[in-house]
Amino acid sequence: MTSRLSSMPAWARWMIYAASGVLLLTIVQSISDTDRLTQISTSREMLRWAVPIFLAGLGGLFSERAGVVNIGLEGMLILGMWFGAWGSIEYGAWWGLLIGIVGGMIGGLLHAVATVTFQVDHIISGVAINILAPAITRYLSEEVWDSPTTSPQTAEVGTWDVPFLAGGTIFGWESPDWLLTASKWEIWYLSDVAQLSRGLLRSTSWVSIIALLLVPFTVWLVWRTRFGLRLRICGEKPAAGEAQGINIIRYKYIAVIISGGLAGLGGAFISTELSGLFQGGNSAGRGFIGLAALIFGNWRPGGVLLGALLFGYVFGLDLKDLDGTASHAMLLVNAIALAGVAAWAFSRRRVADTVLASALGVGALCWWLVADTVPSWWSNTLPYVIVLLVLVFFSQRLRMPAANGQPYRKGG
Amino acid sequence: MSAAIELTGITKRFPGVVANDDVNLTVEQGEIHAICGENGAGKSTLMKILYGMQGADEGTMKINGEVVDFTSPTDAIDCGIGMVHQHFMLADQLTVLENVILGAEPTLTGGRLDFKKAETHLREVADEYGLTVDVHQMIETLEVGERQRVEIIKVLYRGAEILILDEPTAVLVPQEVEALFENMRELKASGTTILFIDHKLDEVLKISDSITVLRHGKTVASLKNEGVTAHELAELMVGSELPTPATTSSTVTDEVALRLSGVTVLNEANRPVASNINLAIRKGEIVGIAGVEGNGQGDLVDAIIGTTQISSGTIELLGNDITYESVRKRREAGVAYVPEDRQHEGLLLSSPLWENAALGHQTQAPFGSNWWLNRDGARRQTEAIRQQFDVRTPNIDVAAHALSGGNQQKLIIGRELTSNPDVLIAAHPTRGIDVGAQAAVWDDIRAARRNGLATLLISADLDELIGLSDTIVVILRGEFVATLSPDEVTPRDLGAYMTGAALQNGGVA
Repeated sequence: MTSRLSSMPAWARWMIYAASGVLLLTIVQSISDTDRLTQISTSREMLRWAVPIFLAGLGGLFSERAGVVNIGLEGMLILGMWFGAWGSIEYGAWWGLLIGIVGGMIGGLLHAVATVTFQVDHIISGVAINILAPAITRYLSEEVWDSPTTSPQTAEVGTWDVPFLAGGTIFGWESPDWLLTASKWEIWYLSDVAQLSRGLLRSTSWVSIIALLLVPFTVWLVWRTRFGLRLRICGEKPAAGEAQGINIIRYKYIAVIISGGLAGLGGAFISTELSGLFQGGNSAGRGFIGLAALIFGNWRPGGVLLGALLFGYVFGLDLKDLDGTASHAMLLVNAIALAGVAAWAFSRRRVADTVLASALGVGALCWWLVADTVPSWWSNTLPYVIVLLVLVFFSQRLRMPAANGQPYRKGG
Repeated sequence: MSAAIELTGITKRFPGVVANDDVNLTVEQGEIHAICGENGAGKSTLMKILYGMQGADEGTMKINGEVVDFTSPTDAIDCGIGMVHQHFMLADQLTVLENVILGAEPTLTGGRLDFKKAETHLREVADEYGLTVDVHQMIETLEVGERQRVEIIKVLYRGAEILILDEPTAVLVPQEVEALFENMRELKASGTTILFIDHKLDEVLKISDSITVLRHGKTVASLKNEGVTAHELAELMVGSELPTPATTSSTVTDEVALRLSGVTVLNEANRPVASNINLAIRKGEIVGIAGVEGNGQGDLVDAIIGTTQISSGTIELLGNDITYESVRKRREAGVAYVPEDRQHEGLLLSSPLWENAALGHQTQAPFGSNWWLNRDGARRQTEAIRQQFDVRTPNIDVAAHALSGGNQQKLIIGRELTSNPDVLIAAHPTRGIDVGAQAAVWDDIRAARRNGLATLLISADLDELIGLSDTIVVILRGEFVATLSPDEVTPRDLGAYMTGAALQNGGVA
């Protein structure tokens, strides 16, 4: 089974993962009193949450693959939020995104100067940027918009409906909306798949589409090009690269600046596409969650996306879940997932892991049986709990770049 | 034909030290040329200058008759010089192919790596010189010997005609050394010039055509390998008689200080890395463990020190069961430890010497009590260690990283031995330190043995193991496979046991 899965092309494997994920949600939904798990709004909110998380996580990937821990992603994201909003208001939507990227890059440059040139501890520099960014943006808001916390309305880059599947138009002709049709049939599972897919394919922001295209692009850039190989050597064994005449410092700079740029794009997406204005605090810690997605995704682009979507789903579900019933149903999903982990650990004869996963799974199941609703803090906590569990159960499979976080001195 | 390498009057000064002082070196085309000298004789500095990693203050370099001036390794590579470092310059999580092409990547349009072309070229190079390797393996899955082969291929891939090997045999067992020498002979046959650094004289005499000896940064001799003996070379290297590790008479008593019974250690994947180990070390006895690195000796050490829990068996110290005691309790009870990696496990590099001397004894007088450090006591004791063990340092307030490797090691040995332990676990106590410090460490261990210390010695230096030990046990894949008497065994025999060759051939056990 496993070998057949791993011999498949990547896209087919991902389709199977997605299909089984939705199947799990559908089954859970049919035995609980909510219908939100597979609603169109849920997957739409998931994507809207996931995109900035993913962009921050991908930024972290570039930085950490080059050996620089970037805990300053949150700050770079906030810089992106402000500069994105400002650029959008001053010059229009697309310029806004670009200026947002530049804003994040400035944060990245600062981090690179501190960590690469001056050998400041990566965590300290990152924390400094996280403290600095909200303060700077607050000051700039006051100067530019006469308000410390909010900006005027920003421009949007717009959205796209996929033709045929989600009723998009081709040269002015409105194509059929097959997924809408399918979701109205009300066939178990099939309609759920249609609804969730339609949420991803209808009114999709161009930024989301760009973000998704960044997955194959990053794989290509980092694992298939000379630039990528040299970038990775910075994070694995910089001395080996230096011995071959590679300018490690230059690559580290480039990587950290790219990192800031991606976080900046994520920030610009939040202010121009999600909120429609700059508002302090709107980042909601998505830069940190991006780091969590990076670890969850084992420092690989596809994994980071998966992590971002998973966390996005949990947050997105919570957003429209005023009575807490959907989050309550998620407890059952958690219980089933933990049962899966327990079975996996058992098959590898890892006793402690089996016991722990079973205990947690039973705990989630009991909570589900006893309570009718779940307080909303639970949804906000869940992503971090998931990352902790991933670290507990799969840490042996996680492979951080070997020289990540280590200071690098030329000729050292 | 002009010489492949001709260095004249090379001088390199560091603050307070002259690393190279008017060094001359001539290497002919297509020969294997050995550079020997003690640690600190200036061999590595000379190679770094030749490879463009450091600039010389004075002197000229000629490669193939042309004067050159290197500012970076890239210049040296362009001149056809390639270097294999003692510490491999390989990324564990990259494939062999990725490691080899790094910095010299063939690309298609848009910076795309041309893996096909790279692989073809790599195979051509490997076949030409008879070097076999699986190009798609991750480095982390390779043995040490294979990694070294990858390093050599990496250099040849760039078209190197002059190869510098920095202590290539330091990490290898005798059988791997044999394979390396075979490769070197093939390289020479196809016209490659090889310059290699070594201080194991039998190896130097076996493989080289010419030998240059450095001492205190100066060239003391340059000679052809004809009729030279190891003894003559050794005297050139140290300028006097060589110290030997040999112990004199036996001091072994009947009283068992450390006893392991049926000790099994499991790794994270629940595989035994040391299985059913039985060992008794008596007072005044040195038991040596011989084994290729990674065969469980490190795990055994961790188990005795208490940093790893054993899954079955018992450990007794002077008849008391310490199997479940904490590391601190064990140390307080009289277990001393000289760790394998002094910089990572033995010292706090940025802390002053007196704090380092207190490490592990911080709860005991004169260093302190349960809760408090005794600064004065600690400083007095550190002064005593400094004098008794000849730790050369301006004062005891300098940070540990300011000391040379030999002096760091003398500090650690002093720290461990002045607490009057009953058992000493010494892992590679003389690794990477110069002959003078080595002799001092040997003297210290011998003196402690006379006073009844039970020592477990782990060493990759087989001469040291044979010279110091009263008994040698061989560990292979986590099991003791042979117990040998050092009087009757040669390094070659030991090598055969360590790799399992002697057992397969039905050798005595």
